[in-house]
Amino acid sequence: MKSPPERLNDRLEQRGTDSWPDETWAEGFLMPVLHADPEVDGLVVLAKHLQATPQLQVNSAFAGQFERRMLRHYLERQKQRTMRGWALLRFFRVHPVLATIATLCLVLLLFSTSALALAAQVTNPTNPLYSLKQWEQHVRYSFASSPTDQAALDLQFAQDRLNALSYLADQAHTDAYLQALANLNQQFTTTASAINALPAGAQQAPLASELNTLESNARQKLRGFLHHLNLTENLATMTELARLGDTVPQLTSATLILPAHPNTTATISLSGSGIQPDAQLLVNGKDLQVTGTVLHRQFVFVVNWNGNQHPWSLGILNPDGTSAQTTSITITNANTNSTKNGNETGNKNGNGDNNGHGN
Amino acid sequence: MEAIDRLLDRARKGESEALSLLYRRFLPGIFGYIAARVAHRSIAEDLTSEVFLAMVENIHRLRARDEAGFIAWLLQIARVTVAGYYRKQEKHPMLVTLESEYWKEERRTALVIPTTNLASDPAHQAEMRDEWRRVVQAINTLTEEQRQVLVGRLILGYDIATVARMMGKKANAVKALQFRALNSLQRLLGKQNNTEYTRQPYEEEIR
Repeated sequence: MKSPPERLNDRLEQRGTDSWPDETWAEGFLMPVLHADPEVDGLVVLAKHLQATPQLQVNSAFAGQFERRMLRHYLERQKQRTMRGWALLRFFRVHPVLATIATLCLVLLLFSTSALALAAQVTNPTNPLYSLKQWEQHVRYSFASSPTDQAALDLQFAQDRLNALSYLADQAHTDAYLQALANLNQQFTTTASAINALPAGAQQAPLASELNTLESNARQKLRGFLHHLNLTENLATMTELARLGDTVPQLTSATLILPAHPNTTATISLSGSGIQPDAQLLVNGKDLQVTGTVLHRQFVFVVNWNGNQHPWSLGILNPDGTSAQTTSITITNANTNSTKNGNETGNKNGNGDNNGHGN
Repeated sequence: MEAIDRLLDRARKGESEALSLLYRRFLPGIFGYIAARVAHRSIAEDLTSEVFLAMVENIHRLRARDEAGFIAWLLQIARVTVAGYYRKQEKHPMLVTLESEYWKEERRTALVIPTTNLASDPAHQAEMRDEWRRVVQAINTLTEEQRQVLVGRLILGYDIATVARMMGKKANAVKALQFRALNSLQRLLGKQNNTEYTRQPYEEEIR
């Protein structure tokens, strides 16, 4: 047995093909249906009644009159459009200087729009359009209507800065890499402040979560760069990783015992955290390719030492690419008293770069 | 009859003959839809005019290439136009003269020809108007989808497949909508007829 909607539809379809053989008109009223399907019969009659009701039929006089009016209206609109086009053309013919200015403006507009559109796609900071992109970001930021929008833009810009680093993570772009890393640091700080300034609740929580995700991505990405960087870049990256909450090696003390006689061996002892067993010794920013041994919680390296020279920095380079360096060195002579060498600017991380600045 | 896709292409290019043909083909459906929502014929005609003026203004933007897409677009314009009319009515209720058009007409002819048939009987006319107003009220309580199914099936005479394409639904869903629409109408009209005096247009017929 078919469902009522199916039966109703069959009856309506049947009506379409054989003009409702079961129903007849009598004095303007529909006679009862003889299908003996009470659930559907009434609906079929109602449908027929609606279909034939004069209130739903178009008046032919109205149809004809309005058709003419509609076409007149259409032709007038077309004429107006054409006239408008010609009027502009005539105006420019009369004023050629204005026409030239308008054309130049149009070309300029097209050029600047295209340049902006291209710049928006640029992620490589060495591309000349990158500065245009930064300007465009600045404009977008100043047009952001609410603190939430600004925080969202800050997040997006932080992601852009992180992407930009990928193009500079090599030994040939040291200055640009350090600058980009500083920009990333600054952008993360700005973003965190913007998000913290938002009222706690539905708007702040997702942005804070996005920031956490981005920081985690940044840590992963920065660690991936380490093997492609020179020591200066590496140490700067260590500082940024520490700021992002990553665990990085730290040196708490460095001691050099100079040999009693020239051209023999010196002993260097380093202590701190995160130093891996196969870590290599760095002296004055150079990897001496020497691995040490652990003795009384200290890493002890024995190296050939030429003369009585004092190093200005000592450090380690772990097999995973992480590094640490300090300029705070205690120097003792094998047969004399100890002296303290280097400036005291090593920071809490114990890292110092080869310019003697703490990071 | 010219295929609708070619007709639409010609209309998009600005051929007034194609616009005329589209108008003639779809006027009954659009008028039927609007007249089922607005009780006064003159207002229904005005709103129908607005829909077709909007059609000629915007047809160059239309993306639909088949009949189902085109009628769906027109019905959408009609729906917005009717909604706008009711919104205006809420803000500025229309002042209707107590002397109806029927009576104006009647005054001109009454002294000349004595009326004997039902069609020109004032009482019968008033009764018919009231009855139609009740039908419109009932139709207005249906959902938009139910109304569109009734227009597609009963006024435009489309088959289920075409109405399904027009509404972006499956055939079974359209059949169910059709059943529910007529069922609701029958129930609403039956209820009104039970509570007020009326000629009981449908109940009498099936009794």
